[in-house]
Amino acid sequence: MRTPFPKGVAVTEVQRRFYASAIRKWIMRLFGLTLVAGLLTLAILAYFSWQTSRSYSHEYSDIDQHFRYGSIGAEQSSGLPIKLLLTLPDAFPEYFGEAGDYTHFGFLTAADAPVPGLPIGFSTGRRLGVEVAWLNCAVCHTGLIQVPGAEPQMISGMPSNTVRLHDFFLALFEMAVDRRFNPDNILPVIADSTGGLGWFERLALKRVALPQVQQELIDRRSRLHRLFGEQPDWGPGRVDTFSGYKMIHLEYTYEELDESEKVGVADFPAVFLQGEKGRREFDLHWDGNNKSLQERNLSAALGAGVTEETVLHHSVERVAKWLEDLPPPPSPYVPDSELAGRGAEIYQEYCAICHGYQAETGYVFAGDRIGRVTPIEEIGTDPWRLNSYTERLSKEQRQFFADDRDYSFRYFRKTNGYANTPLDGLWLRAPYLHNGSVPTLQDLLRPAADRPTSFVRGLIAVDLEGGGFVAPTGCHPGEELREGFCFSTIDANGDPIPGNQNSGHEYGTDLTADQKTALLEYLKGF
Amino acid sequence: MSLFEPLKFRNLEVKNKLFRSNISGKFDLETGRPTQTRINWETMFARGGVGAIISSYVPVLMSGRIIAGYATIHTDDFIEDWRELGKQVHDHDCKYIMQLSHSGRQMDLPGIHNSHRATMSSTDADESLHGFPCNAMNKGQIRHMIASFGRAALRAREAGLDGVELHAANGYLFTQFLSSGINDRQDEYGGSLFNRARFLLDVIRSIRQHAGDGFHLQVKISSVDYNNVLPWERKGNRLNDTIEVCKWVEATGADAIHASIGSLFPHPLNPPGEFDFNTIASTYDAMLSSGGATFRNYLLFRYPVLRPIFRWIWYRQKHDRPHEGVSTEEARAIKRAVSIPVISTGGYQDRAMAEELVASGGVDGISMARALIANPDLPNLWKSGMEGPERPCTFCNKCLLNAPKNPLGCYELSRFDGDHDRMVETICQVFEPRSLAAKGVRP
Repeated sequence: MRTPFPKGVAVTEVQRRFYASAIRKWIMRLFGLTLVAGLLTLAILAYFSWQTSRSYSHEYSDIDQHFRYGSIGAEQSSGLPIKLLLTLPDAFPEYFGEAGDYTHFGFLTAADAPVPGLPIGFSTGRRLGVEVAWLNCAVCHTGLIQVPGAEPQMISGMPSNTVRLHDFFLALFEMAVDRRFNPDNILPVIADSTGGLGWFERLALKRVALPQVQQELIDRRSRLHRLFGEQPDWGPGRVDTFSGYKMIHLEYTYEELDESEKVGVADFPAVFLQGEKGRREFDLHWDGNNKSLQERNLSAALGAGVTEETVLHHSVERVAKWLEDLPPPPSPYVPDSELAGRGAEIYQEYCAICHGYQAETGYVFAGDRIGRVTPIEEIGTDPWRLNSYTERLSKEQRQFFADDRDYSFRYFRKTNGYANTPLDGLWLRAPYLHNGSVPTLQDLLRPAADRPTSFVRGLIAVDLEGGGFVAPTGCHPGEELREGFCFSTIDANGDPIPGNQNSGHEYGTDLTADQKTALLEYLKGF
Repeated sequence: MSLFEPLKFRNLEVKNKLFRSNISGKFDLETGRPTQTRINWETMFARGGVGAIISSYVPVLMSGRIIAGYATIHTDDFIEDWRELGKQVHDHDCKYIMQLSHSGRQMDLPGIHNSHRATMSSTDADESLHGFPCNAMNKGQIRHMIASFGRAALRAREAGLDGVELHAANGYLFTQFLSSGINDRQDEYGGSLFNRARFLLDVIRSIRQHAGDGFHLQVKISSVDYNNVLPWERKGNRLNDTIEVCKWVEATGADAIHASIGSLFPHPLNPPGEFDFNTIASTYDAMLSSGGATFRNYLLFRYPVLRPIFRWIWYRQKHDRPHEGVSTEEARAIKRAVSIPVISTGGYQDRAMAEELVASGGVDGISMARALIANPDLPNLWKSGMEGPERPCTFCNKCLLNAPKNPLGCYELSRFDGDHDRMVETICQVFEPRSLAAKGVRP
């Protein structure tokens, strides 16, 4: 049947039929096509959002494994793509020394790493469709030691005696502004070293992750580089906790910083037996600026890179719970019992009141002044770490987690000295004092003027004689060593290096040589 | 029986067994009036020695043209023109049989007379290969159509021609009724084989009524439809169906059967031969506005990357059938079933094959077209004792593929030693005044 159509428009019957029926057909087809295209777009969007929304962090059932590799949420906020991290040594070999991997920065590696090549202290997860990794607690609190005659041993909870975070951060900052840091250059290296990339991952890395990571690194560089660049080399086992805090989380500018607060470098602390210290409300941190274990832990997590949004409280608390009762391994030193007995008497007389003591049943956290702050005038140790923590910072820290009553910071305060630290696991805490400026216990019993002004840090051999780690003295600052790092209290011109002073804590320096020998014999058993 | 002994039909005697098969050519006026060019064309074959010429496709109504520019017999006004044509053919002792036709939906170039309307067919379904539009005829239209064939036959007789042939083969209107693959009618002209044959038989009766019993009437029919050039089509009539129809045709009063093959024109089996994509791509554009599927086809022809699709569609049916005598066996089968003479068409050029076929009584005559376009005097050559021409037809089918756009003729350049000018000159000699054409220039 002829379909009505405006007369005179169609010249031929073919056209008439086309207009009359085919157009309708085409309109329906167009509608169908639009529908299909719409569905297709939806499917693609769904795929992308599925890919990108699958954010998760890896946690582990074994608590030691979880401590070393499990996430506290840092990789979600500060993470770098795992494949990028694994590729950097190939893409920028000059930053990774002879080792050619992350051990160059003193990071520890273990055969049981979930991601081969990623060191201990790097947790993993997935963000916006890309596998990422960043730091957790273990990066600063897992060390490597070697008792004479034994295999090297990795110990969770002790200070990370080999890790050189300063060099690591500065190297990252340099790589971020290196012209080779671009997808065209990095992606082929990633593809080569990781055995190929899926199209989605390639797309995500090229268009989103790599540019974003570079931008973030450049941003972090812009905030930290001047300060970190001016600071004396931290060396292994040390970190400037609160400068990062100020510049990243609280967005201080370099110009805002007072000269006196620019170097807050101190040793990583040991984190054994945290429960007792928390219950007794010890003044935590070197300067004792907080008595809440929970706040101290959260604060440390912020330092590792989590944010208020990404922190995994349950994970942090799981680690914290474990650390409450994690004892240090017993000292391998077998003291002469008679000599140590005399040393114990001396210790009880002069030291126990501030530090507690080691008993056969375990460490005894008793003493009137244990865990309390000793004023700087009295203790006399290097003041830079104390000064880096300011009144302003303590106030502003209290804004953290302000919206969450369970976690809001209440206890941060500015102190005027350093806290008296319990000495559990003393043999693993070397070098000594908060800034690690004294290599051995033996040296600590010397007057400050007689303590070595330079020694090698970062060696893992246990010094059974002096107490602490083997630390040859007499090296020159800046000297390239085959192993370790030359720590010095003075620079090449003989001027004191900020944060590195070995002054103060002259307790016991006036003991007789015999008394010192006895005391040392006793302390080496801690 | 020699090829050159007379062939006797009930009402007609032809001097030999060789027929020029129906083949058209845009030689005539837009109005359908035959021209001197048509006369030049037909007499070229008459001179060449064929016993009878089956005319070009001649529509009985203007609504039934395949290509505007082919002569028609839809009006008495043209009788004198056809008479002149017949007379000049007769001058060469050659008979002239007019092929009465109607395109139905198989209309390649509608022209100004037909482009504004759908063609008449047995069905409402568009033609399958090109998408030509059509409407199913109602009873009144069918009755008018039947009478129109009768009147056209009478005009042919009045013009002094020697007989008529109904083009009931190759996809035109009669096929559209006959074929089970096309005819989807619910009335007495559709359904059973007999119902589908009713239109053809009615036309035969109409011709007998109009032109009388003494006028030669033969029916060209497709022995097998193979109505599935496009893979999704229904297959259509088989050989047994066609044999049955031929018996009815004989009983209704036809004098001969002209056996072809295929329910479409062109069809992979008819005319059997090559399919030159570069040629069709240069001429098919003339048909672009003719159908709903022509643009699709044009793309398939035009772009080499798409050609394998059409090549597969086209050649999957031909298998290893030879070009020459492509449907001989089907014609033999029809011949065995009827008592009227049977003429076979389909790629004949080999003298021995033709002689054997006729001598064995397989068929009564053979018809040729492309072999004669290449060598119009092929019958005379054979008669003079030669096996064949120096430059035989190559079955390239370029003559066919040029038809929508260009004059009919041999476009196989190799037959002119690559000389394009000579090829064009040869093709165009048909347009020259009669005296020149009569010189009998041939390649």
